[in-house]
Amino acid sequence: MSALLRAELLKLRSTRTALGMGIAAALVTILPAVLLIAFLPKSTIGGDQAPGILTAGSSLVTYILLVFGILGMTGEYRHGTITYTYLATPRRGRVIVVKLVVYALVGCVAMLLALLLANLIGVIGLPMRGVSYPAPDGAALADYARQIVTAGLITAFGVALGALFRAQVVTVAGTLIWALMIEPLIVVFKPHIGAWLPFNVFSQVISLRIGDTGSAAEGLSRPEAFLVSIGYIAAVSVLAVFISMRRDVT
Amino acid sequence: MAVIEAEHLSKRFGKKVLAVDDVSFSIEPATITGFLGPNGAGKTTTLRMLVDLVRPSGGTIRILGSRYRDLARPTTRVGALLDASGFHPGRSGANALRVVATSAGISYDRVDAALEMVELEGAARRAVKGYSTGMKQRLALAAALLGDPEVLLLDEPANGLDPEGVRWLRTFLRARAAEGRTVLISSHVLAEVEQTVDDILIISRGKLLAHGPINELTRTAQPVVRARAPQAEKLEGLLVAKGAAVNRLGDALAIRGPGSAEVGEIAHAGGLVLHELLTEQPSLEDLFLQIAGTRKES
Ligand SMILES: Nc1ncnc2c1ncn2[C@@H]1O[C@H](COP(=O)(O)OP(=O)(O)OP(=O)(O)O)[C@@H](O)[C@H]1O
Ligand SMILES: [Mg+2]
Repeated sequence: MSALLRAELLKLRSTRTALGMGIAAALVTILPAVLLIAFLPKSTIGGDQAPGILTAGSSLVTYILLVFGILGMTGEYRHGTITYTYLATPRRGRVIVVKLVVYALVGCVAMLLALLLANLIGVIGLPMRGVSYPAPDGAALADYARQIVTAGLITAFGVALGALFRAQVVTVAGTLIWALMIEPLIVVFKPHIGAWLPFNVFSQVISLRIGDTGSAAEGLSRPEAFLVSIGYIAAVSVLAVFISMRRDVT
Repeated sequence: MAVIEAEHLSKRFGKKVLAVDDVSFSIEPATITGFLGPNGAGKTTTLRMLVDLVRPSGGTIRILGSRYRDLARPTTRVGALLDASGFHPGRSGANALRVVATSAGISYDRVDAALEMVELEGAARRAVKGYSTGMKQRLALAAALLGDPEVLLLDEPANGLDPEGVRWLRTFLRARAAEGRTVLISSHVLAEVEQTVDDILIISRGKLLAHGPINELTRTAQPVVRARAPQAEKLEGLLVAKGAAVNRLGDALAIRGPGSAEVGEIAHAGGLVLHELLTEQPSLEDLFLQIAGTRKES
């Protein structure tokens, strides 16, 4: 298992994909934070509002991580490296599980870095507007922790979807269309169903409402949303492993 | 004990394609076996089934005494170069091999050794997208050799190699067999295979048509008698009348059926002069066309 883990990390380090995604994540973190600090009225950027404003880009970061997870798995099929991967590890379930774990960890670390970057912008940028930077309190830290965990879950979800569907472009496009268009529509027209759909569930784990202590308006409490998220990832992963074991690699 | 044993192996893709149809063979240690067959015969599919990449629809496979997926660190026992596998274009050759080595628990010394073996050290740090066809093939070969395996499965390894590379491959494989390793190699370059292999397997439309030592198989194949005669057309007529199969090109005849003595006598009886008469051992190509060709017509 540790050999597989190291191989996955080496795969990540030896191409520019991770670097490119990292740069994209940094940009979507920096731009909204800088723009909001620069242009919002002084009264709205300090105090309670600060953490939310600084991390305005973080939902975009999770979408980048979702795509990153999909690319990590579908890339193996696209470039034909899956043959070498399965030759070395014919137990295909192990390959997929290790990828899920590695990408979940990478997703967590990426979000952690994005949040640190956002706060760094706050430390530097807020005083320039004459507002003092409020060190994150317990509630803000808890929000951050939830964002980090959710980022890991979503990245792993991307891997699971990739393992299930294999075709890179189709999976990326299909997932984004689902997450950004179809789900929101269902949420609007059938909210009781929408509350249970995967990307809405992920966002309910975060449910960034400063001062909010428990249930999100959409319907699930945070612990429920967390468990349902894990359930989605587990279900798609188990299905992907089950199908991968029977699929021909040609 | 046989190194590879396939019994009643078959593979169906969907409803229409029966790619491999009840194929049984076993391969002895320290031999080089050529795996031959026309395009679409089922060679790649069979090789992929041997290493568990394609699931058989029926039959069993033992490789080194067990299923591939039950071998401990399989790439150190079986090295495979397979069609349609590939490398990430943005990754360097050396890193591509390091990834393979890491997941198989193979040390990086072997990466350097393998790169050196296929003479790719110079390009090892460059991205694979800048490689020529032959360089990619060498890299794939290096990947197969990484684990210093006792069994090599090579699917058209000579693809894209230059003449020097092809010759290198031939001596390399002979040396591996001399060390007691076993090689199964599919190829369309029959002249090349003929100089390299001990045994051959011929497959066509998923069915195994012949398996045995190349010498024996070519011996049992019909020899070809070549004759040159100034009145070749007349001679052709006489031979055909006696039931021989004749190909004529100008004054040269290639005759299947009668032996050279018989051809000489037929010419003599017809009052025809021969300028040349010889018996040729059929080449692997002749044998292949005979076996795979008859199959097509039936
Ligand atoms: N994934 C697949 N799905 C459907 N049919 C397939 C698949 N892979 C192979 N086939 C079919 O199986 C048959 C055997 O193909 P295979 O690739 O094994 O032939 P081959 O002997 O390697 O041919 P070649 O000499 O051209 O490489 C062909 O009819 C091919 O179309
Ligand atoms: Mg083939």
